[in-house]
Amino acid sequence: MPKGEVLGEFEHLVLLAVLRLGSDAYGMRVRREIAERTGRDVSIGAVYATLERLEQKGLVSSILNDPTPERGGRAKRSFQLTGDGADAVNRAHQDLTSMQEGLAFPFAKGAR
Amino acid sequence: MKPPAFAQAVLTAVTGPSWADCVAGDLAEEFALIYQARGRRAAVRWYLWQAVRSAAPLMVLGIRSGELRDCTLVALASVFIPVVLMDRLWCFVYSQIPMKDGTARAPELLAANVVIACLGAAIFGLAERSGMSPQVKALSATAAAGLAVCGSVGGAPALYVSSLLVCVAASCLFGAARRRLA
Repeated sequence: MPKGEVLGEFEHLVLLAVLRLGSDAYGMRVRREIAERTGRDVSIGAVYATLERLEQKGLVSSILNDPTPERGGRAKRSFQLTGDGADAVNRAHQDLTSMQEGLAFPFAKGAR
Repeated sequence: MKPPAFAQAVLTAVTGPSWADCVAGDLAEEFALIYQARGRRAAVRWYLWQAVRSAAPLMVLGIRSGELRDCTLVALASVFIPVVLMDRLWCFVYSQIPMKDGTARAPELLAANVVIACLGAAIFGLAERSGMSPQVKALSATAAAGLAVCGSVGGAPALYVSSLLVCVAASCLFGAARRRLA
Protein backbone atom coordinates (compact mmCIF):
# COMPACT_ATOMS: atom_id res chain seq x y z
CA MET A 1 0.00 0.00 0.00
CA PRO A 2 1.52 3.39 -0.95
CA LYS A 3 2.52 5.61 1.99
CA GLY A 4 0.00 8.33 1.07
CA GLU A 5 -2.90 5.92 1.38
CA VAL A 6 -2.28 5.10 5.03
CA LEU A 7 -4.54 7.16 7.30
CA GLY A 8 -2.97 9.31 9.98
CA GLU A 9 -4.58 9.28 13.41
CA PHE A 10 -6.26 12.66 12.99
CA GLU A 11 -7.32 11.84 9.44
CA HIS A 12 -8.95 8.71 10.81
CA LEU A 13 -10.84 10.75 13.44
CA VAL A 14 -12.01 13.26 10.84
CA LEU A 15 -13.21 10.51 8.49
CA LEU A 16 -15.13 8.86 11.33
CA ALA A 17 -16.69 12.22 12.26
CA VAL A 18 -17.77 12.77 8.63
CA LEU A 19 -19.23 9.26 8.62
CA ARG A 20 -21.15 9.86 11.87
CA LEU A 21 -22.53 13.23 10.79
CA GLY A 22 -23.78 12.03 7.40
CA SER A 23 -25.29 14.83 5.35
CA ASP A 24 -24.60 17.38 8.11
CA ALA A 25 -20.80 17.05 7.94
CA TYR A 26 -19.13 20.43 7.62
CA GLY A 27 -16.13 22.03 9.32
CA MET A 28 -17.78 23.30 12.48
CA ARG A 29 -19.82 20.12 13.10
CA VAL A 30 -16.79 17.91 12.47
CA ARG A 31 -14.76 19.98 14.94
CA ARG A 32 -17.47 19.77 17.60
CA GLU A 33 -18.04 16.06 17.03
CA ILE A 34 -14.36 15.31 17.60
CA ALA A 35 -14.24 17.63 20.63
CA GLU A 36 -17.34 16.07 22.23
CA ARG A 37 -16.32 12.47 21.67
CA THR A 38 -12.58 12.64 22.32
CA GLY A 39 -12.24 15.71 24.56
CA ARG A 40 -9.69 17.21 22.14
CA ASP A 41 -10.06 20.92 21.51
CA VAL A 42 -9.03 20.89 17.85
CA SER A 43 -8.83 24.07 15.79
CA ILE A 44 -11.03 24.72 12.78
CA GLY A 45 -7.84 25.29 10.75
CA ALA A 46 -6.56 21.79 11.53
CA VAL A 47 -9.94 20.30 10.60
CA TYR A 48 -10.09 22.11 7.24
CA ALA A 49 -6.46 21.34 6.42
CA THR A 50 -7.17 17.66 7.06
CA LEU A 51 -10.44 17.68 5.10
CA GLU A 52 -8.67 19.26 2.13
CA ARG A 53 -5.91 16.62 2.31
CA LEU A 54 -8.53 13.86 2.44
CA GLU A 55 -10.27 15.41 -0.55
CA GLN A 56 -6.97 15.45 -2.45
CA LYS A 57 -6.57 11.75 -1.64
CA GLY A 58 -10.08 11.12 -2.96
CA LEU A 59 -11.41 9.88 0.39
CA VAL A 60 -14.05 12.62 0.78
CA SER A 61 -15.89 14.87 -1.63
CA SER A 62 -17.36 18.29 -0.93
CA ILE A 63 -20.16 20.50 -2.17
CA LEU A 64 -20.70 24.20 -1.54
CA ASN A 65 -24.16 24.97 -0.11
CA ASP A 66 -26.06 28.24 -0.31
CA PRO A 67 -25.23 31.02 2.19
CA THR A 68 -27.42 31.25 5.31
CA PRO A 69 -28.14 34.24 7.62
CA GLU A 70 -26.91 32.48 10.79
CA ARG A 71 -23.50 32.16 9.16
CA GLY A 72 -23.36 35.85 8.34
CA GLY A 73 -24.42 35.21 4.73
CA ARG A 74 -21.53 32.84 4.11
CA ALA A 75 -21.61 29.56 2.23
CA LYS A 76 -21.18 26.18 3.88
CA ARG A 77 -19.01 23.39 2.48
CA SER A 78 -20.40 19.95 3.24
CA PHE A 79 -18.33 16.78 3.04
CA GLN A 80 -19.20 13.15 2.45
CA LEU A 81 -17.26 9.94 2.28
CA THR A 82 -16.43 8.51 -1.14
CA GLY A 83 -16.14 4.81 -1.96
CA ASP A 84 -12.37 5.00 -1.41
CA GLY A 85 -12.99 6.78 1.90
CA ALA A 86 -15.27 3.96 3.07
CA ASP A 87 -12.59 1.43 2.04
CA ALA A 88 -9.96 3.38 3.98
CA VAL A 89 -12.12 3.47 7.13
CA ASN A 90 -12.85 -0.26 6.84
CA ARG A 91 -9.16 -1.03 6.36
CA ALA A 92 -8.15 1.11 9.34
CA HIS A 93 -10.81 -0.60 11.47
CA GLN A 94 -9.56 -4.06 10.43
CA ASP A 95 -5.98 -3.09 11.21
CA LEU A 96 -6.89 -1.79 14.65
CA THR A 97 -9.08 -4.77 15.47
CA SER A 98 -6.38 -7.14 14.35
CA MET A 99 -3.72 -5.38 16.45
CA GLN A 100 -5.96 -5.30 19.52
CA GLU A 101 -6.97 -8.94 19.32
CA GLY A 102 -6.02 -10.85 22.46
CA LEU A 103 -5.20 -7.73 24.47
CA ALA A 104 -7.22 -6.97 27.59
CA PHE A 105 -8.49 -3.41 27.93
CA PRO A 106 -8.27 -1.12 29.84
CA PHE A 107 -4.54 -1.61 29.91
CA ALA A 108 -2.94 -1.13 33.33
CA LYS A 109 -0.22 1.53 33.62
CA GLY A 110 3.25 0.04 33.39
CA ALA A 111 1.92 -3.37 32.33
CA ARG A 112 3.86 -5.28 29.67
CA MET B 1 -23.18 39.66 18.05
CA LYS B 2 -20.27 39.96 15.65
CA PRO B 3 -16.91 38.18 15.96
CA PRO B 4 -13.80 40.34 16.55
CA ALA B 5 -13.07 42.16 13.29
CA PHE B 6 -9.28 42.01 13.56
CA ALA B 7 -9.19 38.24 14.07
CA GLN B 8 -11.61 37.86 11.17
CA ALA B 9 -9.39 40.00 8.93
CA VAL B 10 -6.27 38.01 9.83
CA LEU B 11 -8.03 34.70 9.12
CA THR B 12 -9.38 36.01 5.82
CA ALA B 13 -5.90 37.17 4.86
CA VAL B 14 -4.22 33.85 5.54
CA THR B 15 -6.93 31.60 4.05
CA GLY B 16 -7.22 30.78 0.35
CA PRO B 17 -10.24 32.35 -1.44
CA SER B 18 -12.07 29.05 -1.93
CA TRP B 19 -11.89 28.25 1.81
CA ALA B 20 -12.15 31.71 3.40
CA ASP B 21 -15.94 31.94 3.19
CA CYS B 22 -16.73 28.56 4.74
CA VAL B 23 -14.09 28.91 7.48
CA ALA B 24 -15.42 32.37 8.45
CA GLY B 25 -19.01 31.07 8.30
CA ASP B 26 -18.23 28.08 10.52
CA LEU B 27 -16.47 30.28 13.06
CA ALA B 28 -19.32 32.82 13.01
CA GLU B 29 -21.86 30.04 13.59
CA GLU B 30 -19.97 28.58 16.55
CA PHE B 31 -19.23 32.07 17.89
CA ALA B 32 -22.99 32.71 18.05
CA LEU B 33 -23.56 29.42 19.90
CA ILE B 34 -20.87 30.20 22.49
CA TYR B 35 -22.13 33.78 22.80
CA GLN B 36 -25.61 32.51 23.72
CA ALA B 37 -24.34 29.84 26.08
CA ARG B 38 -21.43 31.57 27.86
CA GLY B 39 -21.54 35.26 27.02
CA ARG B 40 -19.58 37.69 24.89
CA ARG B 41 -16.24 37.54 26.69
CA ALA B 42 -16.02 33.76 26.46
CA ALA B 43 -17.07 33.86 22.80
CA VAL B 44 -14.47 36.51 21.91
CA ARG B 45 -11.77 34.64 23.82
CA TRP B 46 -12.71 31.42 22.01
CA TYR B 47 -12.68 33.15 18.62
CA LEU B 48 -9.27 34.74 19.16
CA TRP B 49 -7.82 31.43 20.33
CA GLN B 50 -9.24 29.69 17.25
CA ALA B 51 -7.76 32.40 15.01
CA VAL B 52 -4.31 32.04 16.60
CA ARG B 53 -4.34 28.25 16.35
CA SER B 54 -5.88 28.11 12.88
CA ALA B 55 -3.73 30.72 11.13
CA ALA B 56 -0.75 28.43 10.43
CA PRO B 57 -2.72 25.36 9.18
CA LEU B 58 -4.97 27.56 7.03
CA MET B 59 -1.98 29.34 5.53
CA VAL B 60 -0.32 25.99 4.77
CA LEU B 61 -3.60 24.87 3.21
CA GLY B 62 -3.71 27.99 1.03
CA ILE B 63 -0.10 27.60 -0.05
CA ARG B 64 -0.50 23.87 -0.73
CA SER B 65 -3.58 24.44 -2.87
CA GLY B 66 -1.69 27.13 -4.81
CA GLU B 67 -4.14 29.91 -3.90
CA LEU B 68 -1.81 31.80 -1.59
CA ARG B 69 1.57 30.96 -3.09
CA ASP B 70 2.03 34.19 -5.05
CA CYS B 71 0.55 36.29 -2.29
CA THR B 72 2.86 34.73 0.32
CA LEU B 73 5.92 35.24 -1.85
CA VAL B 74 5.13 38.92 -2.38
CA ALA B 75 4.33 39.43 1.30
CA LEU B 76 7.61 37.77 2.24
CA ALA B 77 9.50 39.95 -0.21
CA SER B 78 7.87 43.17 0.97
CA VAL B 79 7.99 42.58 4.72
CA PHE B 80 10.24 39.81 5.92
CA ILE B 81 13.23 40.57 3.72
CA PRO B 82 13.45 44.22 4.89
CA VAL B 83 13.16 43.08 8.52
CA VAL B 84 15.95 40.53 8.10
CA LEU B 85 18.15 43.04 6.22
CA MET B 86 17.55 45.57 8.97
CA ASP B 87 18.52 43.06 11.61
CA ARG B 88 21.76 42.19 9.80
CA LEU B 89 22.63 45.86 9.29
CA TRP B 90 21.98 46.59 12.93
CA CYS B 91 24.31 43.75 13.97
CA PHE B 92 27.00 45.09 11.62
CA VAL B 93 26.70 48.64 13.01
CA TYR B 94 26.98 47.33 16.57
CA SER B 95 30.06 45.27 15.69
CA GLN B 96 31.81 48.48 14.50
CA ILE B 97 31.35 50.26 17.85
CA PRO B 98 33.90 48.96 20.39
CA MET B 99 31.69 49.48 23.44
CA LYS B 100 28.70 47.91 21.73
CA ASP B 101 30.45 44.92 20.14
CA GLY B 102 28.91 41.68 21.37
CA THR B 103 25.98 43.46 22.99
CA ALA B 104 23.03 41.12 23.11
CA ARG B 105 19.94 42.21 21.21
CA ALA B 106 16.81 42.40 23.32
CA PRO B 107 14.56 39.41 22.58
CA GLU B 108 11.59 41.77 22.81
CA LEU B 109 12.90 43.59 19.72
CA LEU B 110 12.93 40.40 17.69
CA ALA B 111 9.46 39.49 18.98
CA ALA B 112 8.17 42.95 18.05
CA ASN B 113 9.67 42.59 14.57
CA VAL B 114 8.03 39.23 14.03
CA VAL B 115 4.62 40.49 15.21
CA ILE B 116 4.87 43.57 13.02
CA ALA B 117 6.03 41.53 10.06
CA CYS B 118 2.95 39.31 10.51
CA LEU B 119 0.72 42.39 10.63
CA GLY B 120 2.33 43.71 7.47
CA ALA B 121 1.92 40.38 5.75
CA ALA B 122 -1.75 40.33 6.75
CA ILE B 123 -2.32 43.84 5.39
CA PHE B 124 -0.54 43.03 2.18
CA GLY B 125 -2.32 39.69 1.90
CA LEU B 126 -5.72 41.40 2.17
CA ALA B 127 -4.85 43.91 -0.53
CA GLU B 128 -3.35 41.26 -2.80
CA ARG B 129 -6.39 39.01 -2.38
CA SER B 130 -8.98 41.69 -2.96
CA GLY B 131 -7.98 42.21 -6.59
CA MET B 132 -7.28 45.91 -6.12
CA SER B 133 -5.35 48.10 -8.50
CA PRO B 134 -1.53 48.13 -8.45
CA GLN B 135 -1.64 51.59 -6.83
CA VAL B 136 -3.61 50.28 -3.86
CA LYS B 137 -1.31 47.30 -3.63
CA ALA B 138 1.68 49.62 -3.66
CA LEU B 139 0.07 51.66 -0.89
CA SER B 140 -0.52 48.56 1.17
CA ALA B 141 3.07 47.44 0.60
CA THR B 142 4.16 50.88 1.80
CA ALA B 143 2.02 50.48 4.93
CA ALA B 144 3.46 47.02 5.51
CA ALA B 145 7.04 48.19 5.17
CA GLY B 146 6.21 51.26 7.28
CA LEU B 147 5.11 48.95 10.06
CA ALA B 148 8.32 47.00 9.65
CA VAL B 149 10.33 50.24 9.97
CA CYS B 150 8.49 51.08 13.19
CA GLY B 151 9.26 47.59 14.48
CA SER B 152 12.97 47.90 13.87
CA VAL B 153 13.67 50.88 16.08
CA GLY B 154 16.90 52.69 15.39
CA GLY B 155 17.07 51.33 11.87
CA ALA B 156 18.57 52.87 8.78
CA PRO B 157 15.67 54.43 6.86
CA ALA B 158 17.63 54.52 3.62
CA LEU B 159 17.90 50.76 3.52
CA TYR B 160 14.20 50.39 4.11
CA VAL B 161 13.28 52.97 1.54
CA SER B 162 15.43 51.33 -1.12
CA SER B 163 14.09 47.86 -0.25
CA LEU B 164 10.59 49.24 -0.30
CA LEU B 165 10.98 50.84 -3.71
CA VAL B 166 12.28 47.61 -5.19
CA CYS B 167 9.56 45.53 -3.53
CA VAL B 168 6.70 47.84 -4.49
CA ALA B 169 7.87 47.99 -8.09
CA ALA B 170 8.26 44.21 -8.12
CA SER B 171 4.81 43.67 -6.64
CA CYS B 172 3.19 46.01 -9.18
CA LEU B 173 4.94 44.26 -12.06
CA PHE B 174 3.96 40.93 -10.57
CA GLY B 175 0.31 41.97 -10.28
CA ALA B 176 0.23 43.28 -13.83
CA ALA B 177 1.84 40.09 -15.14
CA ARG B 178 -0.71 37.98 -13.30
CA ARG B 179 -3.59 39.94 -14.76
CA ARG B 180 -2.15 39.58 -18.24
CA LEU B 181 -1.75 35.84 -17.78
CA ALA B 182 -5.30 35.55 -16.45
